[in-house]
Order: sequence, then structure tokens, then C-alpha cells
Amino acid sequence: MTTVAIELNGLTKSFGDVLAVNDVTAVARSGEVTALLGPNGAGKTTTLRMLLGLVAPSSGTATLDGQRYDELPDPVRQVGAVLEASGYHPGRTALDHLRILATASKLPRDAPMRVLAETELAADAGRRVGAFSLGMRQRLGLAAAMLGDPAVLVLDEPTNGLDPPGVRWLRGWVRRLADEGRTVLLSSHALSEVELTADHVLVLANGRLIRSATLAALRAEAGVGSRVRTPDPDRLCAALDAAGHGYRRTEEGLDVDATPEQVGDLAGRHGVVMHGLVGTADLEQAFFRLIQESGPAKPLVSAEGRLS
Amino acid sequence: MKALVHAELIKLRSTRMTAVLLSATLGLVMLTIATNVPGVFGGTGLLSLDDPRLFAIVVGVGFGVPQVMMALLGVLAFTQEFRYGTASSTYLSEPQRTRVLVAKWLSLGLASVAITVVTLAVSVPFGIALIRSQAGEVSVGAQLLQTVSAAFAVMAAYGVIGVAIGALVRNQIAGVVGVLVWMLAVEQIVVPVLPAVGRWMPWGASSSLLQLGPSYGFDGELLSAQMGGLVLAGYAAAAVALALRITPKRDVM
Repeated sequence: MTTVAIELNGLTKSFGDVLAVNDVTAVARSGEVTALLGPNGAGKTTTLRMLLGLVAPSSGTATLDGQRYDELPDPVRQVGAVLEASGYHPGRTALDHLRILATASKLPRDAPMRVLAETELAADAGRRVGAFSLGMRQRLGLAAAMLGDPAVLVLDEPTNGLDPPGVRWLRGWVRRLADEGRTVLLSSHALSEVELTADHVLVLANGRLIRSATLAALRAEAGVGSRVRTPDPDRLCAALDAAGHGYRRTEEGLDVDATPEQVGDLAGRHGVVMHGLVGTADLEQAFFRLIQESGPAKPLVSAEGRLS
Repeated sequence: MKALVHAELIKLRSTRMTAVLLSATLGLVMLTIATNVPGVFGGTGLLSLDDPRLFAIVVGVGFGVPQVMMALLGVLAFTQEFRYGTASSTYLSEPQRTRVLVAKWLSLGLASVAITVVTLAVSVPFGIALIRSQAGEVSVGAQLLQTVSAAFAVMAAYGVIGVAIGALVRNQIAGVVGVLVWMLAVEQIVVPVLPAVGRWMPWGASSSLLQLGPSYGFDGELLSAQMGGLVLAGYAAAAVALALRITPKRDVM
């Protein structure tokens, strides 16, 4: 059973006359991956930093298990975080970087090596971080987040700088953590990056939460569609007519208003040979539509841009 | 708090910065002493080889550069965290920022003790050797003990002030350049030229506490050692109060 682990309630932040985050109310549950999605400057980083006590909200609250971050009795054992700008001293070794964090939080002496092994960096423990690739630094950030073996993970743009194998590794890692019952809240500017990982999506644009939905619900909204290649289109069309599914003939085959599962089942029942079947519902397009419909165009200088 | 101080000490030790600064400082300590012992670089200088206070003053003058180093180490303790973005993970480990500040003050205090001892290990034998080489008198009296105790206090005070400046300024270049210009240009002009004003400045106060008047060529223009100590403590207390007031409220982006 899932429980609410992270709760944002009317969270608002303004920097001077720029409203960076505007009345965001949302939750993230344990055992789920919740993705905070939005274009650059939407207020994702500011939201996560308010949750972690690094930025003071102008109004509203952000709590973890009912407590503000600075009220947590043992923050590093309860929450792990990887922040976009959270860095490393380039002259320090990866092991020293983690030893400092582990020492400050009174974690076991073997914690740094354990997390370095988990993030496949054990062989680089003694190297200075300045010599690390961006992908290795991201993994070191994840290692730091896992030092206290926390039940809640907050990751700001964790896929930035990762190559495709790195993104795949991260996807599996995040999924496994959620399956262990942990709460994962991660931000991303691209739906495609979290499409295979997230259970729940919070869409942020211009500082406002414009959608909170399961990924399944978003998929349903995006519509359904399949593209079929078959040497026997007439028989398939007859079957589609009988089942009440719309379709169009194109040069590449048939575009059908049904899910690939529905089309595959139907073809199987009627013994129609198929040479190709792919889903064509475009979730990314639906995401862009949502953001474009959300209101006025993005200001030229975003709140995040102004601060950096 | 012990764990936080330990973590801060690892930060100080785990980059080359501290070792590089210390080596450069010790070289400059020797240079300062050599220029202050009359006759080493020719001429007579402001001090006299017959003055029984000579050895104490030479040891005290030797802390000019180390006190700048302590201020810089203090400034870097914070500004490096902002420059490299480690401030976030520091505050995630300890969300009570006043505790982070106190840990940095304590760690710089401990570092100041070690650096003062290392400085003395260089300045005392080097000073003795140079004074003897000029056939001067090396006397170990009450003033030397006062100067050595004062050195520990001055070094700790500058570490504390440096941390506070770093916490308030946050920008590394502004912090480092500001401290260097203030300590090595502004105060180096005002203290000898306008001692009536300069003695109330931090450098004037530390020079008073170290009883360095004769090294500027004047007696009685600086504050008494006790008053110098009080003024320096006042600056440190003001810096601490300001840092404690402002740091917890600031956003960390």
C-alpha cells in the first residue's frame, strides 16, 4: 500500500517581482516514481529546493512525512537528494567527497564504499572528481544521495549529461528503488525521459502546476493509435469495420484508431498475417499541448535563468 | 557538533589549497623576519639590535602573513562551498545552518592552533639564528610569552572573521580580493600613516595585541595589548553576530 511521503501545499516563491513557483499543491507517494515535468524555467528546481529547505517559500508548505526538511531528526537517513547544481570540489577525491558527507551525518565508515560500489564507481574512489566525466559525476551525486539508505529520493534532472546506456542504467536504478517501496520524486524537462519510469506525472509550466495525473491517464488523453503493415489489408479492414475501429490507408500501411494490443488480438482472431505493428500515440505531443495551453508565453528571462 | 567539526576538518585537509597556502605563508614568514632583523638586508631598520624586546617583536611581526592566511582560509571555507556548489549538500546534511557556521568556526579555530604552532616552529629558530648572526641579543622575557599567547588569539580571531566574511559575501573572488586589498593595502597604509585611526582597525588591534609598535617606528601610538585584544574580539563578535543573523535566511540556489 502506498502512502503520501511528500506533500506540497500552496507552495509559492517569488524572487523580487518574478513569481517562480505559484501555489503548487501536489503529493508524491511511496513505492512510486513521481516525475515533476516542465520546460526550463518552469520552477522545478525552485520547487525541489523549497522541499529540501534550501530555499524559503514565500508562502505555503513542503513536507516529507509531515515534517519540514529542517525538522527531520535524521535528514540524510530519511531523504537523499541529487540537485542539478550540487557540485563537488574538483580537487577532492570521490571517496573524500562522500567521507565528508558521511562523517557530518554520523553514517557508518563503510557507507561511502558501499554506495560507490552500488553506482559502479568503486574503481574510481581515489580519483579527483575534476577528472570525472559528466556521467560519472551524476552517478557520484546518486551515490551521495544513497549514503544514508533513505526512503525518499529527490532527483533534479538526473539524466542530464548521461549517455544512452547511462540513462538506461538510471531508469533501472530508479525503478528498483521505487519497487523497494521508496518514494522517488524526480524532475525532467522531457516526458520521453521519464515515460518508461514514472508512475505519476506533475506538469509544471510558468510556476503553476497544470496537470497531476498517472502516466496511464496521460496516455489515454494522448489518444490511441497503431500503424499496421499486412500483406492482406482488405481482410484486416473488414475485421476492423466489424469491431468498430476507424482506420485510414496510407502508403506505409494502415493507421488504426486502436491500441496495438487491440489490433494484434483482432488480427490473431481472424488469422490475418501481419508484418509490422507499432503504437503511434504521441505522448510527447500531448505534453507539449498541455504546456502550450497552460497560459501566457514564457517570460524572456525565466526565474531560474535570472538566478543562475 | 563533533561530527560536523570532523567533516569540516576533512574538507580543509582533502584539497591541496591548505598545504599550498601554508607553504607560501611559511616562506613569507621567513622573509618578514629577515626584513625586520636589523642588518640582515643592510641598513639599520626601525628596530634596534640592543632592544631587549627585539626577539618578541620579530616573532610577533612574523604573524602578519599567517593572520592574512587565516582570514583567507576562513573566507574559502564558505566561498568554496558556493563556488563549487557543495553548500547544498552541506546544508542537506545539516539543515540547521547556524550549526554549520559554528562547526566552521570551531574547525578554523583548531586549524589556527596548528598553523600557529607550525609558524612558531619556523619563526622562533629562524629569528634566533638571524638575530645572533647580527650579534644581537635574544632575550626570552615576559613580552615573548605575551606575544606567543597573543599570536594564538590573533590567528583564531582572523579565522573566525574570515568564515563570517565568506558566509556573508559568498562570492569567492569578491571575498578573497576584498580581504587581500583591505589587509595588505588599506590597513598597511592607514596603520603606519594614521595610527590614531589605524589602531582601531583590525590590523591595528592585532598589532597592538602583539605589541608591534616599535616595528612601525613608534611607541605608544598603538593601543595597549589589552585594548587591542578587546577591539579584535569586538570585530570577531560583530562578524559572528552578522553571519548568524543573515546566513539562515538566505536562499541557496
